[in-house]
Amino acid sequence: MRLVRLYFEEVAAAIRCAFADRANFAIQVGGMLLNNGVFLALWWMFFAGFRSVGGWGLADMALMLGLMMTLFGLCGVLLGGYRDLAATILRGEIDAILTQPTGVLPRLLARESSATAWGDIVGGLVVLTLFAHLGWRDLPAVALALVCGMAVFASAGIAFASLAFWAAGARSFARDLTDFTLLFSSYPGSIYRGAVKVVAFTVLPAGFVVMLPVKLVRAPGWESAGLVVLGAALYMALACGLFDLGLRRYRRGASSAG
Amino acid sequence: MTTPAITVRQLRKTYSYGRRAPGWRGILSSETVTLDAVAGVDFEVARGERVAIIGPNGAGKSTTLKMLSGVLEPTGGSAEVLGLTPWRARQALAYRIGVVFGQRSQLWAELPARDSFRLLRRVYDQEAASFERRLGELTERFGLAEILNQPVGRMSLGQRMRCEITASLLHGPELLFLDEPTIGLDVTAKAAIRDFVRDHARDHGQTVLLTSHDTRDIELVCERVIVVNRGRIVVDQPTDQLRKRFLGRKVITLQSAGAAIAVDLPGVTTRPSQAHTTILEVDTRQVRVEQVIAAALAAGGIEDVTIEDPPMEEVIHDIYAAVG
Repeated sequence: MRLVRLYFEEVAAAIRCAFADRANFAIQVGGMLLNNGVFLALWWMFFAGFRSVGGWGLADMALMLGLMMTLFGLCGVLLGGYRDLAATILRGEIDAILTQPTGVLPRLLARESSATAWGDIVGGLVVLTLFAHLGWRDLPAVALALVCGMAVFASAGIAFASLAFWAAGARSFARDLTDFTLLFSSYPGSIYRGAVKVVAFTVLPAGFVVMLPVKLVRAPGWESAGLVVLGAALYMALACGLFDLGLRRYRRGASSAG
Repeated sequence: MTTPAITVRQLRKTYSYGRRAPGWRGILSSETVTLDAVAGVDFEVARGERVAIIGPNGAGKSTTLKMLSGVLEPTGGSAEVLGLTPWRARQALAYRIGVVFGQRSQLWAELPARDSFRLLRRVYDQEAASFERRLGELTERFGLAEILNQPVGRMSLGQRMRCEITASLLHGPELLFLDEPTIGLDVTAKAAIRDFVRDHARDHGQTVLLTSHDTRDIELVCERVIVVNRGRIVVDQPTDQLRKRFLGRKVITLQSAGAAIAVDLPGVTTRPSQAHTTILEVDTRQVRVEQVIAAALAAGGIEDVTIEDPPMEEVIHDIYAAVG
């Protein structure tokens, strides 16, 4: 309980940091809203012409994009340290945290909060509310989808960034992998086939970030809920395990970081 | 007999890295090179003692500090800090030590220092009353009242370092590790930090282990000095003895409009220098600095005077030369 309280106090501090320069905050949030608006307008124009893609209509697409934007925004606000975790590792900023009596990974995740992420949250909630054809009864499934999607997306970011414990060049590689996951999560799941689908459910886990969660919201059931939760648990375990392995390597002095 | 605060026996840390061959061959092949950052050191630090570890870059000072604070695991040997093995009991030890890495901050740059301190209270699970009492004490003694509500990012380096040290003391640690605490600071800020660390440690019976490049940090804060080179201890003796042997020198630089200034006093050596500049090396065991300045002023034509300690590299060079 103490650690949960500490975590949220650190997140609150990180949010205050993001708000510290109000003009910058407003520009960043406004820019992100504009960016998301243009992106949605393009999909809207697309569906005006084609009606459906692989069985997905505009409402399904809005649900997927709304979930993606919201969970991406929530990750940026609540777990913002994942975004440049590789650089934090490479700069040796872990040292100061290692001299304090708390877990390292939660402290690293809580210490940053992205201003642009608020634009994603607002944009995502608007899309979910206005275009995804959701009712009150869908709310529990949407909440579960968001929490599990966040867990998988942040876990993927942590796992990619943990490669920095082994290779100094992992910073840009980790960013590329995170961007690819985001890209994979921005297209209808039904278009992925064969090897690409395998990639979407393994290395770049877009399948667990939004595709399965969309299924859960559209056709709620214990099986789909179980799959979503299991996927999130597995990716979290993988990310924590990889980070822990890397941290041990760092503390042995075998890492290129520091 | 009291147990020492720190006991180190044959502590070693070896790093290995890939060294590439020169030119195009380096793309295809590399050899693994090992480097003994700390090559088997033994020492003890008594409770309440203030000890400096000094040495040139790469001598193993910071690596030793990181091992003793639980950040790094050693390659071999043993260490006990306040009765705990630091790398095995990192979290338990963290409640009892304070650590300041001069070039790494534990404060939030965009927030007022007070907010960072409050977060640290949560980190160390400290009771509100004891936290407020200690913060009040430290604020008063370190003169922080005016900057406590200022964002850390807008502070001068000296103000930031005062806040860093305060942050490391708020939970009342028995032992303080300071890694280059005065690096990059001006003379006034350095003096404030030295006075504070020394007085606070003396008043609270706190053990201090610091690394520094600045001989004045050692002279003014510590009672004992451990000199390391290439991961080994070359000298371990009280500061008084070291001062008598190696720290009794000053370097005075005189700028003049005309020719170089000659000062003919025992214990004064003139170093080669550029036109209009005279560099005097003064052995303070033979002659006082003010006597040298007076003699120089008497010669006339002086436009500027600088008095400095010899660089740490020179002091260490002297020590190495003396100990073979």
